[in-house]
Amino acid sequence: MNIIVCIKQVPDTADIKIDPVAKRLLREGIKSMINPFDMYAIEEGLRLKEKLGGKVTALTMGPPQAESALREAVSLGCDEAILISDGAFTGSDTLATSYALSCAIKKIKDYDMIFCGKQSLDGDTAHVGPGIAGHLNIPQIVNVRKIQDIKEGRVTAHRMTEYGYDVLEAELPCLLTVVKDINVPRLPSLKGKMKAKSTAITVWKAADIQAEENRIGAKGSATEVWKVTTSPARPQGKIFEGEGAVDQLVLTLKGLMK
Amino acid sequence: MSNDNLIETDVLVIGAGPAGLAFSIHYANLIGKHNIPLKVMILEKAATAGNHTLSGAVMNLKTLGELLPEVDLKGIPSITEVKQEDILFLTKSNAFGLPYHPKVMSNKGNHILSLGAMVGWLGGLAEQKGVEIFAGVAGYELIFENGKLVGVFTGASGLDHEGKPMSNYQPPTEVRAKIVVLAEGARGHLTKQLIDKFNLTQDKNPQVYSLGVKEVWEVPEGSFAQGRIMHTLGFPLGADQFGGGFVYGLNKTQVVIGFCSGLDYSNPAFDPHRALQQYKQHPQIAEIIKNGKLIKYGAKNIPEGGLFSWPQLYHDNFMIIGDSAGFVAMPSLKGIHLSIKAAMTAAQAAFEAIKAQDTSKERLSLYEKLFKDTPEYSEMYAARNFRQCFTSNLYLGFLKYGINLITGGRGLSLNGKSRLEADYKHCRPALKGRQLSPMVFDNKTTFDKEADVFYSGTKHDEAQPCHILISSAQVCRDCIEKFEAPCQHFCPARVFELSPEAQGNPAKIILHPSNCIHCKTCDIKDPFQNVTWMPPYGADGPKYENM
Ligand SMILES: Cc1cc2nc3c(=O)[nH]c(=O)nc-3n(C[C@H](O)[C@H](O)[C@H](O)COP(=O)(O)OP(=O)(O)OC[C@H]3O[C@@H](n4cnc5c(N)ncnc54)[C@H](O)[C@@H]3O)c2cc1C
Ligand SMILES: Cc1cc2nc3c(=O)[nH]c(=O)nc-3n(C[C@H](O)[C@H](O)[C@H](O)COP(=O)(O)OP(=O)(O)OC[C@H]3O[C@@H](n4cnc5c(N)ncnc54)[C@H](O)[C@@H]3O)c2cc1C
Ligand code: SF4
Repeated sequence: MNIIVCIKQVPDTADIKIDPVAKRLLREGIKSMINPFDMYAIEEGLRLKEKLGGKVTALTMGPPQAESALREAVSLGCDEAILISDGAFTGSDTLATSYALSCAIKKIKDYDMIFCGKQSLDGDTAHVGPGIAGHLNIPQIVNVRKIQDIKEGRVTAHRMTEYGYDVLEAELPCLLTVVKDINVPRLPSLKGKMKAKSTAITVWKAADIQAEENRIGAKGSATEVWKVTTSPARPQGKIFEGEGAVDQLVLTLKGLMK
Repeated sequence: MSNDNLIETDVLVIGAGPAGLAFSIHYANLIGKHNIPLKVMILEKAATAGNHTLSGAVMNLKTLGELLPEVDLKGIPSITEVKQEDILFLTKSNAFGLPYHPKVMSNKGNHILSLGAMVGWLGGLAEQKGVEIFAGVAGYELIFENGKLVGVFTGASGLDHEGKPMSNYQPPTEVRAKIVVLAEGARGHLTKQLIDKFNLTQDKNPQVYSLGVKEVWEVPEGSFAQGRIMHTLGFPLGADQFGGGFVYGLNKTQVVIGFCSGLDYSNPAFDPHRALQQYKQHPQIAEIIKNGKLIKYGAKNIPEGGLFSWPQLYHDNFMIIGDSAGFVAMPSLKGIHLSIKAAMTAAQAAFEAIKAQDTSKERLSLYEKLFKDTPEYSEMYAARNFRQCFTSNLYLGFLKYGINLITGGRGLSLNGKSRLEADYKHCRPALKGRQLSPMVFDNKTTFDKEADVFYSGTKHDEAQPCHILISSAQVCRDCIEKFEAPCQHFCPARVFELSPEAQGNPAKIILHPSNCIHCKTCDIKDPFQNVTWMPPYGADGPKYENM
């Protein structure tokens, strides 16, 4: 079972500071981490490998610093790590990102499953996983909370829905995006950290993965960002106090329902 | 244990503080000049080197210059020279300058810095020299073979509260080394076990500690000058307690405020966190922070016993360096430069031992021999009886210290070696009259422990066995009976909560281990020695960065 896990490096939420005047995210000195959902994707890949054999390759598109996310993935147990990084990717939206990742996956060629997180912490679109499957023309199951079975070239998985879950079956190779219910991610061991220091990270440029120039970066993006605004601060909640608070609350709620 | 989880190295260093890093850098320098492969690795429990570091700090840069002759020390982040120095005696509402400044306490030419930032910087230099630092990994358990130390296990992860493996279980890694260097800082968890096993404190004074509780404040420019340092005695402590405050101007808008309390106090209700909060209400301090904002909180112990409290510094296959041994000179309250020097002499001994393929205690005794020839040893020797002067009364202490200065540090004891008693033996049964009145925290300049802990950035994986071990529940009940649970007061992070007697159930202690900021006070001060601090999962704990 050869598995590819797509991971994204995102700003560390514990570290996020907002410029109080400009009301913008302060990026200098902000630490990064692996997108939380992707930690579950890595863990699921590792568990399948431990059960069925094969290898796990971590793949990311990002700036050169994204190498640290890949090293963390190796410290957890991934066998190989590939960074696709090139000035030509700058400005990619989710369409261009998923195209670029799919080009890299075509170059890797030998794979049975691809894991992605459900969505990213910063971009939050949940486009990239399905986008990759689309570009590769392979089946996908999103929001997977459990893999029930893998046999005879097919996977059966539970897709989380708002009301419960669906049981879906798909042919391999297949792309799965995972939610946090699927497992509990491990912590890296010292042995893993040691391996992470010595593992070579493969870096591919746009030309290496034969990505068409006009399908990547700003040129290959279907979206255009017009304006970025911060959402207004939420007004403070109303507090009902003292005698008659419950009646007042009920009245207010009734008023809201009209 | 399968070979899959085995790592072998020449030298394994536990702790990437100034001592562990200085050791590794000097060892790498020595090896570099010879044809021996460099095999030295450091385990550090913090997520990155510097995250668990907390100090004052006013530093004497001399030994760092000797360690790094090729490096410009101006490159240390946020370093500033001491420009102005005061020692004040505080009463409840007044402050008096001390008439006499002993020369050993002068900080002329020293520098103020954040030790956490310095350690981060030093870690970078060590890695450039080929030292492998593994942050987020704690040394958890010692490995012995034929009665000798041969390595260390890291902790397992993926355990439930009872310690049973869960689906994400990861086994420990076994690290085998020819020499293990203990640089865990004060009250090292592995060091403590080695001291016990090999009886390394026989005929020595026990180590004694002060807990330093510290905050960093952002203040408007002009509130406290960059490069100014202020040390205080007196308020809020009475004359029967050892301790004092410090205020350092780190830069134009950041000031460090800390309060150190000797853990040899006897009132079980005494609370070192509260002492800092009271300290900030003194007009002298309140004025500095009145328009300021708290940005960081933390606490850590200082080993103050001096050289008569050193354990034997070496044994077969291991050496103890830095605060784990107690390279701190009182009264100047300096440990960094002494730890660096001792680490360098230990590195020399390790290098000779690896070269000769002989890591016996006889070979490693070179470490102590070399250190005893340094001026830094003389500095510690002069202060060898200092802390012993201040075990009963502050004024009497000054008198004794005066005699100490006249007699060249000897004091009045017959053999020139004054005794000390372990901190935990000082608790006296709770006296109703000495209960402290409740303090009101305004959340602007004074904070309760929960609020302060938030500013330490501490976090722990909730799914793991509790890392604060209580050996006996019965002893715990006896302690509540006799001392009214001093742990609820001495812990600066409110890890221990006393749940009062209710509905026929006796009073008991509830633990909140996630709050822990790794200061080790519980391990030191618990009157029955019923508490053992264990390392939690790697990378858990405070996130000090600039403390
Ligand atoms: C309208 C719009 C405009 C944008 N413009 C720009 C721009 O001009 N410049 C710019 O730099 N960025 C831009 N971005 C951000 C960038 O396109 C997205 O961050 C990126 O495409 C991933 O989308 P996402 O974060 O929503 O991921 P999601 O689709 O929410 O992520 C789902 C999963 O896909 C995988 N994944 C996502 N991204 C990667 C990756 N890079 N490598 C490997 N796996 C990944 C992970 O498994 C992740 O859990 C823009 C985004 C949007 C929505
Ligand atoms: C409040 C306070 C003020 C001080 N002021 C000054 C001053 O002004 N000037 C001065 O010179 N000195 C001062 N000191 C003393 C000085 O900080 C210490 O002497 C110095 O930090 C000792 O360095 P160390 O490397 O031995 O220990 P530490 O700095 O404590 O470093 C030990 C490291 O080991 C790690 N560690 C511990 N156990 C393990 C384990 N089992 N596995 C993995 N890692 C582990 C810890 O996380 C830590 O990073 C002060 C100390 C305090 C607490
Ligand atoms: S539990 Fe112990 S080590 Fe942790 S903060 Fe409290 S006293 Fe310090």
